[in-house]
Amino acid sequence: MLVRVLFFGQLKEIVGASQEEAELSEGARLEDLFERYGRRFPKLAEFRESIAASLNREYADWRAPLASGDEVAFLPPVSGG
Amino acid sequence: MPQQMSVAEEIFQFVREPIDARAIVENLKAPEDGAVVVFDGFVRNNFKGQRTLYLEYEAYEAMAFAKMREIGAYMREHFSIHRVAMVHRLGRLEIGETSVLIAVSSAHRAAAFDACRYAIDALKRGVPIWKKEYFADGAVWVEGEKPSQQAISAPSSSTL
Repeated sequence: MLVRVLFFGQLKEIVGASQEEAELSEGARLEDLFERYGRRFPKLAEFRESIAASLNREYADWRAPLASGDEVAFLPPVSGG
Repeated sequence: MPQQMSVAEEIFQFVREPIDARAIVENLKAPEDGAVVVFDGFVRNNFKGQRTLYLEYEAYEAMAFAKMREIGAYMREHFSIHRVAMVHRLGRLEIGETSVLIAVSSAHRAAAFDACRYAIDALKRGVPIWKKEYFADGAVWVEGEKPSQQAISAPSSSTL
């Protein structure tokens, strides 16, 4: 299955892209996707505790299962206002 | 015949041009209201003592817009208010420019103060927006809080 992955702020700079398509096997969860990026970008993995994940524009649990066509985003600490 | 100006009961917006705070506030005043409380957040000239040259805001706009609307819905549910405006600027901002404007109208001041306080706190903790500060010798992404839905739906703020 194919999901869209969005990166913002520092994470965007670490990955070097604001979005990517990721091919995952059936049954993959949000945390699996993040782990995969963490292996590609070790600096990204360091953020694990301070970031939130979203699934289709809603805050989501790391154990949330993914489906084809999902939009995932990794959200570093926010600083709006 | 003078044209009747249409007045929005709610405004949620991301803009890339300067925010006209005065116009937004004037537009928010309804004859039956007695109060408007405004939070005008603008760009500070330093970050932890280091002189800021300018800064840049970015947002996960689709999600951020939905979350701002949720904040508006929460305000209506919990505070006796009338009109709400929540406008956040994105892109490059200079020192002193408004980055966020929140205005709440109400028949009475207490509800407007409480709702406005809730709104800025919820925005800062629950809406996916980020800012980068630029200095003479580098730049830094400002790290606030880990974003959460709880900041919007179940705030623990002292105002509630």
